[in-house]
Amino acid sequence: MADEELGPLPAGRHGFSREQVAHNQRERLIAGLATAVAEKGYRATTITDITKQARVSRRVFYANFEGKEECFLAAFEIVVGHIRELAMEAAMPGDQWPARAVAAARAVLVFFAEEPDLARLCLVESQAAGPVVAARFHETVAEAVPYLEQGREERPEAQDLPPTTEDSTLGALVLLAGRKAAAGEAPQLEDVFPEFAEFILAPYIGAEDAAHVARAQAA
Amino acid sequence: MRALPGKASRQPPGPKPVSRAASADDQRRRILEATADLIAEQGFAETTIEQIVRRARVGYATFYKHYVDKEEAFLALLDAALNRTAYVVEEAYDGESGPWPDKVGAGLGALLKLAAEHPSVARACLVEAPTAGPEAAARHEAMLKRFAPLLRPGRELNPRADKLPESLEETLAGGVLWVINQRLIAGEAEKLRALLPEALEFLLRPYVGEEVAAGEAAGPGRQVTSA
Repeated sequence: MADEELGPLPAGRHGFSREQVAHNQRERLIAGLATAVAEKGYRATTITDITKQARVSRRVFYANFEGKEECFLAAFEIVVGHIRELAMEAAMPGDQWPARAVAAARAVLVFFAEEPDLARLCLVESQAAGPVVAARFHETVAEAVPYLEQGREERPEAQDLPPTTEDSTLGALVLLAGRKAAAGEAPQLEDVFPEFAEFILAPYIGAEDAAHVARAQAA
Repeated sequence: MRALPGKASRQPPGPKPVSRAASADDQRRRILEATADLIAEQGFAETTIEQIVRRARVGYATFYKHYVDKEEAFLALLDAALNRTAYVVEEAYDGESGPWPDKVGAGLGALLKLAAEHPSVARACLVEAPTAGPEAAARHEAMLKRFAPLLRPGRELNPRADKLPESLEETLAGGVLWVINQRLIAGEAEKLRALLPEALEFLLRPYVGEEVAAGEAAGPGRQVTSA
């Protein structure tokens, strides 16, 4: 995890291989960036901030990353990878689609509520980190489209939904979550779960059933 | 060179304006157009004042006469674009005498048309504004809030109105902006107008239910294939 507190490596003979040390340095730099960005925001964060947090030299930083953007992207991918796993684990294969979709959404919201700094990194700072990261952010959100599309099998009416239904739905919720994270309200994201669940399900199973499932799952 | 929204009509073809005030207006317009184009092409962080003055064909002194730095120029661009967008959307919405769903269709159609006609400005406002610091991000937030009151009357059409979340309007507006954003990132501004029926259905569904929303979306004049 990018937010793990990593202490400095013990001096002298520590028994780690050169590769292990290199890997550890990279991880420390990524964790250092996450800490610095949480404190100052992406734009104000300098390479010096990152290397200070990571307790490694600038030379080591540039041996691992071309610059701040690449380091941020590495941190972003680690957090996204973790969120992806949480969502997959939460969506139990045996469950019906509405329960799976809603469980995955809840897992993501709970993670953001428990890790407000990482919520900010993913949802807010990723927008500040330049066009490459912003485009990657959009691609990442779009990964969820096929899972949402499975909802079209729920009833005949759902098959005629417009093609952008999934993108609009995900985008609406990602922006809403991002605005809360930007306002320092990430810890309250778990509270909006019923709202999110209903919004996700309504196009596929109808507004009334969506409200019903959302209430049942929130209980 | 592409005209900034709302500025084109004030620039008559033919000889350049000569009065000092008109010349200052023209300088500002050229600076903001250049800022929009450069930011759309390469992002806010990569854009320099040197590039802006070259593209705008003005001197450094002229730039600094109007703006302290590139942030201020970008904020001026965002303000101009936001005001223009709100004006165009609200005018189309108010000008539609039909029932509320038609008003939303008119406002949304005007928004998509404006974004399609000014892709650089749209890209600068939607894709780049959140990256350019808290003040620019606040402009982005203001845009969402500006659209919310146009959707709110839909609550009167929903028997479950009391159950609708307070944030619904801003959430829906965000969904539409997200999809516009996607087209702009992909460089597909020409496809924006064709989004009208489905974006309209997305906006109306929570208020009027899916059948009515789909019916409204399929209404006459909504199937815009291309500009």
